[in-house]
Amino acid sequence: MSETVLVVGAGPTGLSAAAGVASIGKKVILVEKESVLGGAPILSGYAKLVPSGEWAKDAIGRMVKRVEDNANVTIHKSTKVVKVEGEAGNFTVTMSNGQTANVGSIILGTGFTHFDSINKPEWGFGTYEDVLTTTQMEQMVSNGKIACPSDGRVPERVAILLCVGSRDRQIGREWCSKICCTVSTNLAMEIKEISPQTDVFIYYMDIRTFGLYEDKFYWKSQEEYKTKFVKARIAEVTKSADGRLLVKGEDTLVKRPIVIPMDIVVHAIGMDPNEENPELSKVFGIGLEKHGFVDKGEQYTSTFSSTRRGIYVGGAALGPEDIDTSISHGLAMAMRAVGDMNALVQKAA
Amino acid sequence: MAIHEKTLIDADRLISSDKLVVDGVDVSGHWNTMILPRTLKDYDDDFETKIKTYAGAENVHRCWQCGSCTNSCTMYAQNTDFNPRYWIYLTRLGLKDEILKDKEIIWQCVSCNKCTNICPKDVRPEGVMKALSHWIEEEGYGGKSNSTIFDEEFTRQCLERGRIEDSEVMGNFYKNTKQDIVQMALHGWLGIFVARMNKWNELRQGNVIKFLTRTPIFHSLHMGLAMVFKPKTKSWGRTGEVLQQYVKEQKELAHG
Repeated sequence: MSETVLVVGAGPTGLSAAAGVASIGKKVILVEKESVLGGAPILSGYAKLVPSGEWAKDAIGRMVKRVEDNANVTIHKSTKVVKVEGEAGNFTVTMSNGQTANVGSIILGTGFTHFDSINKPEWGFGTYEDVLTTTQMEQMVSNGKIACPSDGRVPERVAILLCVGSRDRQIGREWCSKICCTVSTNLAMEIKEISPQTDVFIYYMDIRTFGLYEDKFYWKSQEEYKTKFVKARIAEVTKSADGRLLVKGEDTLVKRPIVIPMDIVVHAIGMDPNEENPELSKVFGIGLEKHGFVDKGEQYTSTFSSTRRGIYVGGAALGPEDIDTSISHGLAMAMRAVGDMNALVQKAA
Repeated sequence: MAIHEKTLIDADRLISSDKLVVDGVDVSGHWNTMILPRTLKDYDDDFETKIKTYAGAENVHRCWQCGSCTNSCTMYAQNTDFNPRYWIYLTRLGLKDEILKDKEIIWQCVSCNKCTNICPKDVRPEGVMKALSHWIEEEGYGGKSNSTIFDEEFTRQCLERGRIEDSEVMGNFYKNTKQDIVQMALHGWLGIFVARMNKWNELRQGNVIKFLTRTPIFHSLHMGLAMVFKPKTKSWGRTGEVLQQYVKEQKELAHG
């Protein structure tokens, strides 16, 4: 019987879970496959976070420091879990660095993988230098200069294409990635702030800036930053003779084909299941749901359980999720993990 | 293939020629009807800003195309081509040519303001309709109405001389509106008007005084002289020039 908790993944979910468990006074082993902590916001170099507006490196940096400074947390970087044996209350875990550990419960904050725009070749990513993803554009914003990668000119127009790798049966993405609309409206404002002469167009099917993101991001970008919203699903991105990009499609509100010149085209990429989910499924003995995200157990009385007892899962591992919600998932999983271990201890006594 | 249903295509996009050779092949006859592509090529990025300078259209950028304005519109109920939502969208993107296709109906807005009351984003579509109508008129896309042509001639004479000469105003008005004054005199209302002034019967019956008092002899003489010498109002000087400058400045102040 062990009362140590294994946390897999050091993104917002995992960092929150680790801090939560440690704050109750239990030991935590935090395993991260990358060489730095922080997860997607740090690894992909996000700019300002939604909705706080804080720079990712500051906000997530505080979460990392809180865990690093906690004596109850042991951190393994560049490490994966390769084997899990035993049962709830008494798992034996083997790591890729050769070490083993005895843990009472396991929390998975294994997150997601950004959609790879190469899978939508018609939108020009990988073909034209000036076609970027939201993460690349975020990096550009972080560096404080908006310029076309091809020749460094300041773009007159930027087009952001929504639902790239989301809501698309053709490529098996039958889900909404939930946060891209808000991220894109936020990005449009950041671009305008750095480069006031640049006009930003957002090509959308629907706008889903849920909850309080409505006025803070959608309305604000439209009313204060003059972002233009065009209801069109783009058919293809090509290049014109003068080197500018041509966005082709149908403007559904005008009921007319469009071929509009742009200087930068940004793909608002969606959230795929973590590409290592099949491997995680085998190692941890957990089920995946039909899209490939980690499957949930019973929700109402066994919240955040996976399909295996003693293993909990939350954040973007369950499906597209925003950072704030992922952080609450982490804390809720800490509660579940410690609570269930207490119940086992009392039962044993 | 022949075009089976030409009514589905905008008339201005149908082109045909008597003789047509494409890449050395004679395609005259049955094959010579072509359709111009209807692809939108570019946005006029400054158009929205321009329209926003008109009073009432300041919030046009807030529109998110829900269509409440069109759904509530009094005119839309009469004519489904009257679509405020659509025109607001075209305005925002700067698709001017598309707006001009509807220049003959945009002004028909009756200002019932149902759209303004229902709009969830406080766009005030009624104000946008007014702004578009004014823009169409001011840019000269609407073509001049007869009353505008009359006003122009009237104003021109006022500014030049500080006074108008009725017959010159009318004469130029008919000329500028391409109304044939001779035809009107022979067959139209002008003939009847002149006939009523005909007092020869009085003279024939020996009523010389009546004839002289009822025939506008001196008036005609005065009119004829004025048309030749074009006299100005006393001390008119540079007044016209100054007024003209003032009107120009006020217009620029309002709309750039």
